Amino acid sequence: MNRRDFIKRSLSAAAVGTLMSPYTRAKQSETVRVGYLPITDAAPLLIAHANEFYKDEGLNAEPPGLIRSWSALVESFLARKFNVVHLLLPIPIWMRYKDKIPVKVVAWDHLNGSALTVKGDQGIHEFKDLGGKQVAVPYWYSMHNVILQMGIKKAGLKPVIKTHSEKIKKDEANLVLLPPPEMPPALASGQIDGYIVAEPFNALGELKLKARILRFTGDMWKNHPCCVVVMHEKTVDSDPVFTQKVVNAVVRAQKWILQNPAKTAGILSKEGKGYLPMSKETLDRVFLKYDTKTYGKGNLPQAIRHPEWNASRIGFQPYPYPTATRFIFDRLRETLVQGDNRFLKQVNPDFVVKDLVSYDYVKKAVLETGGPSVFTDMKIDSPWDREEVVEI
Amino acid sequence: MRRWLYSFSSGFVGVIILLMVWWGTGWLLVNFSHNGQFRDFLPIPALKAMGRLVEDPVFWSSVKVSLARVGIGLMMAFIFGFSSGIVLGISRQIRRFTTLPMQFVRMISPLSWMPIAILFFPSFEYAIYFLILMASVWPIIHNTSQGIQDVEPSWIDMARIQGASKFQLLVKVLLPFTLPYMLTGLRLALGIAWIILVPAEYLGINSGLGYLINDARDTMEYDRLMALVISIGILGFCLDSIFRFLTQYFNWRKK
Repeated sequence: MNRRDFIKRSLSAAAVGTLMSPYTRAKQSETVRVGYLPITDAAPLLIAHANEFYKDEGLNAEPPGLIRSWSALVESFLARKFNVVHLLLPIPIWMRYKDKIPVKVVAWDHLNGSALTVKGDQGIHEFKDLGGKQVAVPYWYSMHNVILQMGIKKAGLKPVIKTHSEKIKKDEANLVLLPPPEMPPALASGQIDGYIVAEPFNALGELKLKARILRFTGDMWKNHPCCVVVMHEKTVDSDPVFTQKVVNAVVRAQKWILQNPAKTAGILSKEGKGYLPMSKETLDRVFLKYDTKTYGKGNLPQAIRHPEWNASRIGFQPYPYPTATRFIFDRLRETLVQGDNRFLKQVNPDFVVKDLVSYDYVKKAVLETGGPSVFTDMKIDSPWDREEVVEI
Repeated sequence: MRRWLYSFSSGFVGVIILLMVWWGTGWLLVNFSHNGQFRDFLPIPALKAMGRLVEDPVFWSSVKVSLARVGIGLMMAFIFGFSSGIVLGISRQIRRFTTLPMQFVRMISPLSWMPIAILFFPSFEYAIYFLILMASVWPIIHNTSQGIQDVEPSWIDMARIQGASKFQLLVKVLLPFTLPYMLTGLRLALGIAWIILVPAEYLGINSGLGYLINDARDTMEYDRLMALVISIGILGFCLDSIFRFLTQYFNWRKK
């Protein structure tokens, strides 16, 4: 958008604002304003825009806004610059129960889509090899931090958060917080020995740094949630028609991605519509590469240990299973984070599971978009139930 | 003419030295880290990427929007900084009240205003102007106010004796005297605005040089990143040269 367009747009926006009476404004639904981070987690929200699924639902949609850090995305969402965003699952938990910000989870954005990546030449093949090492996490309140610490503890190591001057013992793995884009260069320069993060930064590390994937997170917690689609509670309560349409469009995008993974990579890439700055080669790896020849038995490290799970590198299934919310909440209580996490002890997990998520919109959307058989790992006869399968 | 040639050629030697330092440290970095990824930081890949960059229309549109952002931010900083600088310079009373809070606010890192900018402004574009304003207004205020305070008291007396009104005093004596100070302030402000641009373009916009740098970082295209760094340097240098020229032109002391 050049300056002239910008001025024109702001003028017309101002004009519309003054002309419309409060009555007509109340009747008209909001415009869809998507905010996202440059990671493949954002795919459904972006594909729904690229393929005009929002438009098909009769919604106006602004071009999605790219933000480079979780904090800035959360702040922009609070300021209502965006009304539909994807956030790591635990983020809305602390938003709603620690900071009392009325947000609602309306759907799961995607499944899996993350991995633990380590330096290729350091002989790190198992969690136990992380003793005395530095591992980066993208956010303290993240599924990544939870799963990583489960793996570290299982291997008999102790997760610690130490400052630079303190020595890390052989039986400790030190956690550091890094924004995703800074992880690969930090790995290359040797400041960290591994990182656990969303794609495409694992694929990027493999391609650019000859880094190795120690484990896919979807191979440890089968088809786990990672990012969820979040909206303002006020919107969800006061404008059910708008909310339903947004959820419909996102769920339809998930279905489309499952059927067209290569096309999805093309559209999102810089060679395509440029929603993400990465090349098609990198994104192809995320959407297509999950084979046992590269990652299964006989490889060191062995990133896929449960080929029978039939998981995928990134999967799509919108229904926010209460069992998974419950699982991540319970584990979060045992996970080491920096900052005040006492609020986790003060809320009742059963209440959280009911209160955090809006289930009806997404149920309706799934049934209208082809039913449970269309999506990853949904049972046909009891689509709204599942058991959490976790094998570290 | 000869002096111009001399300064130009010594500038050229300086650039050569800079290139050599870049190449040398880059070479050490690549060879001691044993990592090919850093090779892209070296001058030759960077200059090649520079060649590709200038052919890229996205680059030129980014230059335009970034210049516009710096321009608008600086203009606001100038309007605000200049007027409050004059008031502060003239009134000792106001100065006394405002020195402490201003020193306090001035010391806040401009980027820590980011959450406030996001929450307060309706669009990201305004948030970026605000960040540039918050960073670059201080040298303008300070220099303008200092300029007014430095006016020879005897000049003011002289103007008064000859019957100058307050307005005439301001326009004929105070402002001309302050002009070089103010231009120096503006020049400092430009440097700061230009620095703030890259992190400010982290926010939800989809164009600009800072935006392109962030993209290059996200994809580890370090040759492109270096090419962008160089072009930002060149643009900044050109802008600074304009201001330097203006500063010299309006500097009545040298004439």
